Amino acid sequence: MTKFWKQFLSGIVISNPLFVLALGLCPALAVSVTVVNGIGMSVATAFVLLGSAIVVSSIKKFVPDIVRIPIFIVVIASFVTIADLTLKAYIPTLADSLGIFLPLIVVNCIIMGRAEAFSSKHPVHLAIADALGASVGFAIAMIIISFLRELLGTGQLTLKIAPYLDLHLFTLPVLGENPMALFILPPGAFLLIGLLLALFRWRGWMKSE
Amino acid sequence: MKVKALSELYPILAVTVVVFISVALLGGLDSVTRDMIEYQKELKVQRMLNEIFPDMTSYTSEGDIYIISADGTEIGFAFLAVGKGYGGDIDILVGLEDETTLKGIAVIAHAETPGLGDKILAPDFTDRFVGVNIADVAVPDEGGKIDAITGSTISTKAVIDAVRTTAMEKVKELKD
Repeated sequence: MTKFWKQFLSGIVISNPLFVLALGLCPALAVSVTVVNGIGMSVATAFVLLGSAIVVSSIKKFVPDIVRIPIFIVVIASFVTIADLTLKAYIPTLADSLGIFLPLIVVNCIIMGRAEAFSSKHPVHLAIADALGASVGFAIAMIIISFLRELLGTGQLTLKIAPYLDLHLFTLPVLGENPMALFILPPGAFLLIGLLLALFRWRGWMKSE
Repeated sequence: MKVKALSELYPILAVTVVVFISVALLGGLDSVTRDMIEYQKELKVQRMLNEIFPDMTSYTSEGDIYIISADGTEIGFAFLAVGKGYGGDIDILVGLEDETTLKGIAVIAHAETPGLGDKILAPDFTDRFVGVNIADVAVPDEGGKIDAITGSTISTKAVIDAVRTTAMEKVKELKD
């Protein structure tokens, strides 16, 4: 298997940012209340991850070690601002649902973590593989978490496509009337990810190196 | 000597170049998206006003009060009220038919408990404000005509009180 694919897959399974590295839990859990939000956050994060990985890897020869952190932050913050302005202008509903967590992607540890640990030390094509892997791993984790939270917490699954345009997919029989609201709230989010992590450890999935 | 001074200067130069490029890029993006972002904000206000005034064709704003018109005639006013809810501020758009009667309300933003406090969003609650006299916007226990919802008394009462106090404030403003 080529180095590229190996790095890509490791981001999804071996070093899954949420389930294994446990990075960026705060914005992830705050936003993953509905599947639509979860996907939206994943796309925004993926954009910033990919962009910053490419730039950081490309300029690594010119970055003096002593100022690398400020430079990485400026690069990451620039991509987040691009995402922020673009969403506010063209997809304002998503910008509203992500709320303050969109600009907070700047300090999401996943981005800085991958830039520092990988992108700044490897060639561009591998940095891209790493960023894509981490993005897909993050997205899969977000979709699983928000799917469970929305289902258990509201008893139904709804896709908010546009303002006032909700595509209601289905409602569960018992949970529909008496959903477990705990899972919509922060404590429920922590409980859920704790249980998921326990499940993965027990079954031996996603073992970290 | 010269070489040493140059290599100490280099990190500063590197940061400056990166920041410069970033600012230039973002400045450019800002000028491209600025109008669109303003447009989206206006669209949002328009949609919300339309919810309360379905017959609206245009509106203007005088200070923080919106004056709603339908085909040239004034049909009402609207303004923002902020209530102190259970989880934080509740932003409410209030529509007035005239200086004494409410046209309706719409909850724009809130941080209330899902399943309990967020029942303030349901038409079942917001419909209770339609056509009501400003003076009657209170819970029955306080001489009003709007019932709170059991299980979310704090959230609903916050909305009711905010609507009444702000409405009275704005009506006084209009009269001046």
